[in-house]
Amino acid sequence: MTETVFGNLLGSREAGMLERVVLVVTFALVVLFSLFIDGFATAGNLLVILSNSTSLVMLSCGMAVVIISRGLDLSLIAQMVSGATIFSILVTNGSPAAFALLVAVAAMVLVGFVNAFLIAYVGIPAMLATLASAMCITGLFRFAILRGEFILLLPKSNPAVLFLSGNILPGVTVPVALMIATLLATWALLSYSTAGRIIYAMGDNYQAARLTGLPVRTTTVVVYVFAAVTALLAGLVTSAASGAVDFRTVSNGTLLFDVILVVVLGGIPLRGGRGGLKNILVGAALIAILRNGMTLMNFTTQMQDALRGLVLILAIVIDNYLNPRDTETDTVGDL
Amino acid sequence: MPAEIAFASLPKQRVPLFVVSPRRILADVLAKGWIESTIPFLSLLFVLTGIALTTDGYFSPANLQNLAQYAADGGLVVLALLIVVAVGGIDLSVGSNFAMSAFVALYCFHILNLPVPAVLVLTLAAGGLVGTANGIVAGLLGCGALLTTLGTMITVRAFFALAAQAELVEISTSSRTDDLWDWIGFEKFLSVPIGAWCLIVVSVLVFVMFRQLRFGWHILAVGGNRKAARHGGIPVRTTIFLAYLLAGLIVGLAGFLFAARQNSISVADTGIGMEFFALTALVVGLGGFVPGKGSPVTVLIGFTTIYLLNNAMINAGFRGDFVQLCMGAIIMVILTIDVRFRKNRHRLLASTYLDPVALDAGPVEGMRGLMPSEIAPRLKGAEILASGRVDGPEDVILDAQGNLYCGNRNGCILKIAAPTYSEVSVLAKIGGRPLGLAFDREGRIVTCVAGMGLIRVTMAGDVELLTDETTRSLFSVQDDTAIHMADDLDIGPDGTIYFTDATKRYDIDNWGLDLLEGRPNGRLLSYDPKSRKTRTVCDNLVFPNGVCLTHDGKHLLVASTWSCSILIFDLAKLSEGPRVFLKGLPGYPDNINRASDGGYWVALAGMRNPLFDQVLKHPGLRRRMTRRVPPTNWLFGNLNIGGVLKIDGLGKIVDALWDASNGPLYMITSMREHEGSLFLGGVTNDKIGRLVLDGADVQWTGPASYWGRDR
Repeated sequence: MTETVFGNLLGSREAGMLERVVLVVTFALVVLFSLFIDGFATAGNLLVILSNSTSLVMLSCGMAVVIISRGLDLSLIAQMVSGATIFSILVTNGSPAAFALLVAVAAMVLVGFVNAFLIAYVGIPAMLATLASAMCITGLFRFAILRGEFILLLPKSNPAVLFLSGNILPGVTVPVALMIATLLATWALLSYSTAGRIIYAMGDNYQAARLTGLPVRTTTVVVYVFAAVTALLAGLVTSAASGAVDFRTVSNGTLLFDVILVVVLGGIPLRGGRGGLKNILVGAALIAILRNGMTLMNFTTQMQDALRGLVLILAIVIDNYLNPRDTETDTVGDL
Repeated sequence: MPAEIAFASLPKQRVPLFVVSPRRILADVLAKGWIESTIPFLSLLFVLTGIALTTDGYFSPANLQNLAQYAADGGLVVLALLIVVAVGGIDLSVGSNFAMSAFVALYCFHILNLPVPAVLVLTLAAGGLVGTANGIVAGLLGCGALLTTLGTMITVRAFFALAAQAELVEISTSSRTDDLWDWIGFEKFLSVPIGAWCLIVVSVLVFVMFRQLRFGWHILAVGGNRKAARHGGIPVRTTIFLAYLLAGLIVGLAGFLFAARQNSISVADTGIGMEFFALTALVVGLGGFVPGKGSPVTVLIGFTTIYLLNNAMINAGFRGDFVQLCMGAIIMVILTIDVRFRKNRHRLLASTYLDPVALDAGPVEGMRGLMPSEIAPRLKGAEILASGRVDGPEDVILDAQGNLYCGNRNGCILKIAAPTYSEVSVLAKIGGRPLGLAFDREGRIVTCVAGMGLIRVTMAGDVELLTDETTRSLFSVQDDTAIHMADDLDIGPDGTIYFTDATKRYDIDNWGLDLLEGRPNGRLLSYDPKSRKTRTVCDNLVFPNGVCLTHDGKHLLVASTWSCSILIFDLAKLSEGPRVFLKGLPGYPDNINRASDGGYWVALAGMRNPLFDQVLKHPGLRRRMTRRVPPTNWLFGNLNIGGVLKIDGLGKIVDALWDASNGPLYMITSMREHEGSLFLGGVTNDKIGRLVLDGADVQWTGPASYWGRDR
């Protein structure tokens, strides 16, 4: 029994090697950090790791679904920040939290739909479409709502903010609950829904999926709307935890980078068509532990960035070796 | 002997000097390569007009110099990105690389106190190093370019921030000055800033590289189609690697220029967002995100547009966030237009290309008692030669010994040896689609090859291209220099070859569409073997087809297929244009050849019928039909069955040879008389017919009629 569970966790022989390598590296890091960093292997620190990685996991869920469908969403962070802005502005101005949430969700659905429209109906490569929409969204919010500022401060005493950073059950905070909900939703979408099967088919061979008559366009809409909603949830959690919405997370690119790292290191090939919840968890575990360890070791942000960049390039190279791609059949979007 | 042709008394044929049709102009413009580059030009015009209307003194020399000074590094970065995008990649690390290079330049200059040339070399090396890293991972290892360069972007920026924080104070307090350094940063040469000169020089080099150098062509080939490039023997991965390296070096130069001008860097600002700016400029310039396209000129136009727009908006008091919003929206709009345009251009082209016009061939004349219903089908009695062994002999010709030659669909000239005509051999393999044939004075075959031009074949099988282009006609959007569909020819007594280019707008696969268009798209050309010059004798003829020199050697008969008439030119007065020799034929005339009694044979490739004559009078009907009805259901001329007309030397129809309704010869496109027999070929036939003529001169041969018996 233990062996099969462990075997499943490690992945079957056909599943990605990268995933297993990353799992081993994660365990090795845990052991190393526990031995050499004071205060790493404590219950408190584990909770910190968990609560610090909730938004990362949620974003990774959205990104993973997009990447499995052979897309890419570079506007994820912009969506996260702008969704949080809408919610915060409404709540600060006295709207009920439910109404604010509804408006924010509607706005995010719209953003996701616009992305999907540009990609599936107009035919712009996903990378360029989401890059442009990220610029548009950030520009629009900073221009029209923040009036040029980078940061929107939240009143800590607002009940909605308090709720989002508080406990829902004894020992389970709202962010953690939201994270678990997102993971479950992702699992249901990918494994138990029609859209999920189509997402895998699209990632495997987009043209084949289209030619067999699968509704690839509507599925693209589902994918990007789902990503936008996960981004909103991540944004709510982050802004409630830090008490501010910070647009610099968009421009410095670190968070987007972490999200892509989680997906790639988790073993979801950038060509799409493979991967699932397990891969997100594996990738997120490594990045969360790495982040925590580096912070405990007092690395500066720049050092962390440099390390992350090197790890990403390494991961890309390994991914390329384990999941070789046929660059000769690439289209413009498959960069 | 035949009577003298009274050329001056024949009715004149009106030939338009030029054909103007808005729809055709639109179609021709759409077919042009430069149509895709119109977006950057239009947007630049738009921006320039907007600025000129709203800002006073923006285009003053001083402001322009100022703009040029600050534009240089951005322009260089855009060019670097162009090279990477042309090879099929993308480089997001240009901004970080730019910042890092600027730091290296300042560090080498202020801290290490190196001479300026050494600073330049080290800066280029720093830029090249990042390019090398990108090139190794994205090129040699073949990883995804986007994530690779995202990785280097973050890593290099982190290193830049670490290094800049450590050295910033020392750099800003350094007091070193250097004449060369300041000259690069601030001086002007011929009133243009040095930085702008660098940009100009690099642009010219990039332009030359993409146009003239092997490496540039390799980049475009790899970007256009990797598989094709690999099959063509291009080292794909090395080319990608070198493209990234080159881009890194150019970014290094940009960083150097920035350092010399600013003398400072900022951790928070330098190079931030530059990759998005460059990407916007590139997308505007290329009219989309297209690999395999190396056009620095349009990209620089795109850069100028974005740069000026950016600058003008900031001048007008808009904040950076609004500019960012605009840039994102511009990328979206341009990509949308571009993607839709690219996708639908060929459809638009296909639906506008065919541009019919009314054509009235007039009633059938001079056929009383000669129509198929009125006389017996004599071709039924023709002897069939080489059945199934010739594929589409459009023209047949016989030499003095009676050997028969014809072209076929595979692009060969076949020889069918006399007297049994059972042995078929290949005389020469040309390619293309050989159509009309003629013997010149030296006994060589001159042939019109559709898609290739005029070609001479010796009896030994040597092939020589005589001509494949003529002078371009005035007022044509489409380049009509090339001879599209050389059809038939004849050779004048002085050796000049007269030949027809049946249609300039269609080729051998779809020449039938020219009938549906019904426009004067063809031309009569001449080639002088002595001066080797090709000349357009008469442009804008309606499908000029068969050509035949009259027996007196002074006139030229040219069949005008869709107008069912035969035109005549006076060789001494070619510029006077054609007159009508014969009109109102019952079918569509193809080749014309001499007959032994001083008359001519005219092949009819198909027969007219009242319904299609009516269709030809209604261009709107044909246009709607070709757009809405599948080609298999189109009303079309009856080109399935034809016949041969015999006319006398003055253009009166004297006899007609028809085929039975069940064959065997169907469409007839040529016939040659030889020693009392008539040999018949057809462009869609797989056989040659031979009909013994009653009462014909059994001594008469074609070559003797042209060049004399004692040759």
